[in-house]
Formats: sequence, structure tokens, C-alpha cells
Amino acid sequence: MTHPDLGPLHLLTSAPAPGTVHITVVGDLEYDTVEDLLLEVSDALAHHPGLRHLHLNLAELGMCDSMGLSALLQTRRFTGGVGARLHLDHRPPALDRLLDLTGTLDHLLALPSAADRTPGGRTDALDVPD
Amino acid sequence: MNVAANRSHPGDIAPGAGVDAAASAAPYPMLVIDAEGRVTRHNAAASAVLPDLRSGTAAAGAVPPWLAEPVDGAEVRGRIGERLFAAHPTALEDGSTAWWLVDDTEYRLAVDELAVERERAQFLIEASNALLSTLNPERCMEVAARLAAKHLADAAVVVAPAIGRRLPMTLCARGGPVERRAIAVDPERVPGLEEALRGFPPVPSRWIDPGSAPEWLMPKGFGGVGSVAITPLPGHGVPAGALVLLRTSNHAGFSESEEEFAALFAARVGAAMSAARLYAEQASITDVLMRELLPPRLRQIEGVELASGYRPAGDSARVGGDFYDIHLTEGAGTATRALVALGDVCGKGLEAAVITGKIRNTLHALLPMADDHHRMLSMLNRALVTSDHTRFATLVLASIARIGPHVCLQLTSAGHPAPLIVRRDGGVEEAQTSGSLVGVLPEVQSATAHTTLAPGETCLLFTDGIPEAKGGPMGDELFGVARLKRALGECAGMPAEAVVERVQMLAAQWVGEGKHDDMALIAITAPRGTHLTAVDGTTAGRYTA
Repeated sequence: MTHPDLGPLHLLTSAPAPGTVHITVVGDLEYDTVEDLLLEVSDALAHHPGLRHLHLNLAELGMCDSMGLSALLQTRRFTGGVGARLHLDHRPPALDRLLDLTGTLDHLLALPSAADRTPGGRTDALDVPD
Repeated sequence: MNVAANRSHPGDIAPGAGVDAAASAAPYPMLVIDAEGRVTRHNAAASAVLPDLRSGTAAAGAVPPWLAEPVDGAEVRGRIGERLFAAHPTALEDGSTAWWLVDDTEYRLAVDELAVERERAQFLIEASNALLSTLNPERCMEVAARLAAKHLADAAVVVAPAIGRRLPMTLCARGGPVERRAIAVDPERVPGLEEALRGFPPVPSRWIDPGSAPEWLMPKGFGGVGSVAITPLPGHGVPAGALVLLRTSNHAGFSESEEEFAALFAARVGAAMSAARLYAEQASITDVLMRELLPPRLRQIEGVELASGYRPAGDSARVGGDFYDIHLTEGAGTATRALVALGDVCGKGLEAAVITGKIRNTLHALLPMADDHHRMLSMLNRALVTSDHTRFATLVLASIARIGPHVCLQLTSAGHPAPLIVRRDGGVEEAQTSGSLVGVLPEVQSATAHTTLAPGETCLLFTDGIPEAKGGPMGDELFGVARLKRALGECAGMPAEAVVERVQMLAAQWVGEGKHDDMALIAITAPRGTHLTAVDGTTAGRYTA
């Protein structure tokens, strides 16, 4: 959307400081492109074992549909799994509205916790229902 | 001149001076025919090709007719026995013509072969195009049979792998109609057919006794099979069937090169057929799932009007992500009479369909707690969260209870656009509910809205396919919630069915020819009571509860 001439999704990864990785997301996060982001994130995690902060720079994010949100949630799982914190920088208003509507912003930005180490957040799956 | 000397030795031009000696030893056949049509000279090479040549006698009879005709200096071509020659004439001073014969059989064969190959390559391209233009397996078999009957044989039969005991086949005689059969026969009765259906390499056609071709393997009215060739149709991993080519006894049998060519054609048919079959299987899986996931028909519940609309995304036959359901909750010991759930699963296709099914089943099982939306959503969330993926669903729950002429609603959004309420005066409100999506987060949050619909008022639940429908005058503008609200304001007092139709129509017009996501919506309308008189349906006072 932002850069129709650049094609659907472009990702640029940098590591400005030890333990910190920035991924700049340019373009749309949707059904056909989310896989690219997830691969980029897993690569970043694999190449930076002591990662503490993963920043997604979303200033040039175009459209983000439900698959895009699903990918952000998956990214949060990845970072939570390695004890890193996810930052969603320069969020466009449309993304903020989506995160607000779906009640996911707090979860995405939450500090990694012990529960995150269990992928899928299933720690409570066996609890007695309240 | 050595003509006289040659009478006794017709095979030779006697060695002599210059030109004659060269002509005599030339590797190319040479003969001279004079103005009266008599052979006056010829060399040894000419005798080897035309053994009846006698110098001094008439050429007619000894040379082929195409050579005997004098032509104005142009070369002529023709056949001598099995071979092809070009004859180059040279006019001599005495009015006779010297003919030099050049055997160009090999060249002509190569040229002919090239033409055949070109034609075949062209045919294969056309065949591929025709075959790949359809994803319907039966249509694909028809195209294959028709093409094969036209280009490869007098009749062709495409046999698909057996379904149960029946062997589906498509038959076509050249220029005739395409026939379809599915008959219980044993392919082992036809030598080579069973093997081809199992994907073994083809048996050379000369090994197949044409008399063994049974009646069921021939198009109607096709008599006298002279030769049969059977080629397997290779599919993706599994054989896709067999191609049977038939020729009548009037025609020559299949040459080796024709059989090789048939195999090339068969490879294309096989690929197309197995693609078509895979697609058909997929489509039928989708059909089964769609039937299972199809929303129920909505109706009135104790006078509460319910109407629904669903417009799947037009871009594919994949199962969409939108769903809705309505459950009667009578007998659960609560005031709630019905629970409506409408939602959207992220993504498309089978994965989305599986999640949709899970949500609908889980909600059904949780009906006894239909009054407590937060508890329902928490338990639904737990049932959905998995470490395998972060696919989620957003949905809205609406519990409906009728109290006198009013309808009491409990509305809870789980990450979903809030329902809109159309008051009788045309005011449109957003239900004050919000909550988190289900299926990913460890815990869900939700805030439930309570509202009451007076007679004639409507609550509209919808998926984001409607506000996010792209279109409008410039083609790239979102329909948007504001526009939806305005449209609903004009629907004040309308029956549920009419509201749904109106919104659907506006959204469809907005999108025009463009692509859109699934669009689902449900209108819940409070009953306006019984029509007392048939005078003026718009006067509020004319209705009773």
C-alpha cells in the first residue's frame, strides 16, 4: 500500500546493539506475505541467541489483515519463548485500531514471563474452569 | 562421338576425350535424350538406376514418365522405384538434353520428417492448452479422446482408473460424437489395458491382437479393428488411466514413432487428468465442509425476527472464514431464549474451516452457560489455544430474551466489530462492548453490553467484510462503519429481512466488480406486533404487541 512499486512486503533487519534486533517492515502484512515476516523473525532469533529486544519498525506498514495480526501474535510467541521483549514501533493508526479492537496490544507488548516459555501459553490449559 | 561404339555396350560411355570421360565416370546418373525422345547416351551410374536404358532406343518405357517430358530448363523431381530423384536438365547444342539425376531421398525424408515433427510439436502445444483449460475430469477425458481420435487414430478411448468395479471411459471415433461409459468389466480381458492402468510401460501394439478388442472398448458403430495401441496415462504419483487408440483394418498399423508420439500425448493427458482429479477431490472436500459449516436458516423465535445474509469472498471456492450460528436455549433455566454467534476466523481454507467447526461445536456444548458470555468465551478460548499456530477468531455473542413487546439483548464482542443498534427514530448506536479475540491469548477479556430493543428496533451483527469492503467511486475506499451507520439510519423500522437485504445490496454496489472478503450479517429485530388494520403499515399506533 505504502510502496506499491516495491511489491508486497520488504523486510530489513539490523542489529544496532548487542541483544537488540530491529526489523523494518515495509508493505502489507497479509495472507501471502506473513510467512516472510515469520521466517525473518525466526532467523533473527536463531542468529542472536541472547536476544533481549526485538523491535518491529512499522512506520511503513501498509495493510495488516487478520493473517497479519496472527503473524504478530506468532512473533510475540517466538520472542516470549526466548525471553525477549517485542516492541512494535511507529504503529500506524489503522494497526492501533486493529490491536485495540482485538484486545491484543497489551499482550503483544507485555514483558516476557515464565509462562511464555511454554509455547502456546498452554500453562493453564489443564486448570479447572473458573 | 562414341555413340556407335556404345550400342554393343549399353552400360558404358567409352572412355574418350574430356567431357565424355568425365560424364562416364561421374558418380551421378547422367543420360542424354535427343529431340526425338531417344536415349543417345548414358553412363554407368544411370544404368544402375534405370536398368532398361538402351542408348539409341526410345526413352519412354526405360525412364519414368516425369523425366521423359521435356521441361524448359527447370529441374524436375520424381520417384524411381523406392527412391526420390531430382533431375537437372542441361540443353545441348544439337537440341538434345542431358539429364543429371541427384538422389535426394534422404533429404526429402528428413524434410518430411521435420514437417511431421513440427506438426506434432504444434499438436502437443494445442493439446496441452486444450487439456489444461478445464479442471473438470470428465471434460478433460472428452478433450483427450477427441484430440486423439482426430490426430492419432481412427478412434480413441480414454479409460480412467476403476471406480469400484466400474471402469469409466470416454470414447470418440474420428469426427463422431463423444460417448461416456462406466461399465463393470474386467480390464484384464484386454491385453495391455490392465498393465497400462497400473502404469506399466506400453506393450508394443503389434503384440496386441486387434481381435481381442472387446465391443465395449469401441465407439458405437466402429467396425473392424485393424490395430490397437494402449498407452498408460502417467499421473502425479498414481496412474491417471489409459489411452486406447484404434485403427480400422483399412489403415496401416501403428509405427514405432507413432507409438512414441502417442506416449508424449499421453503424458500431457495424464498430467491434466490427475490435476483435474485432484482439483475435483479438493472441491468435493470443500463442498462437504461447506455443507457442514453452512449457516442455519434463521427464523422467528417467539416473534423476534432474525434474518441473515452471507456472501462468501468471490475470489475462490475456498471455505471462507465467516460463520454464524443460532441456538435455542430453552430449557436451560434462564431467561435467554436464543444465543446468536457470528464471527470470523483468520485465514481461509481447510485450517480456517477446522477452527470454525471447533468453535461452533464448543459453543454448542457451552450453551448451558449462555447467560455468562465471559465464561463462555474463556472456555472457548481454552479449547482453541494450541501451540501449533496463532490462528484466532473474533466473534460476537448475542443472547436474546423477549420480555413483553421488548427484546433484551446481551451483546459481547470478542475482538469483533461491535454490533450496531438501529433505534426507531433512525439513531444508530454502537453497542458498548469490547473484548479480546479468542484462540491465542492465555486469558481473554470481555465487557458485555446490555440493551433493549423497542418494537421495530434492530440490532445488526456483522463481520468486518462489510466495513472493510473496498470500492466506491474511486475503487479503493473502504465502505467503513460510518457509511454503514448512515445506511442503517435509513432502515429504521424496517423488518429484519429488509435491513439485511439493504445492507447487503449497498455493500455489493460499493464493491462492484472488485474483490471482497466474506461478508456475513445478522439482524435481530424486535417484533412490531400484529397488524391490526391493513390501512397504513407505517403508523406506530396500528401495531400491538
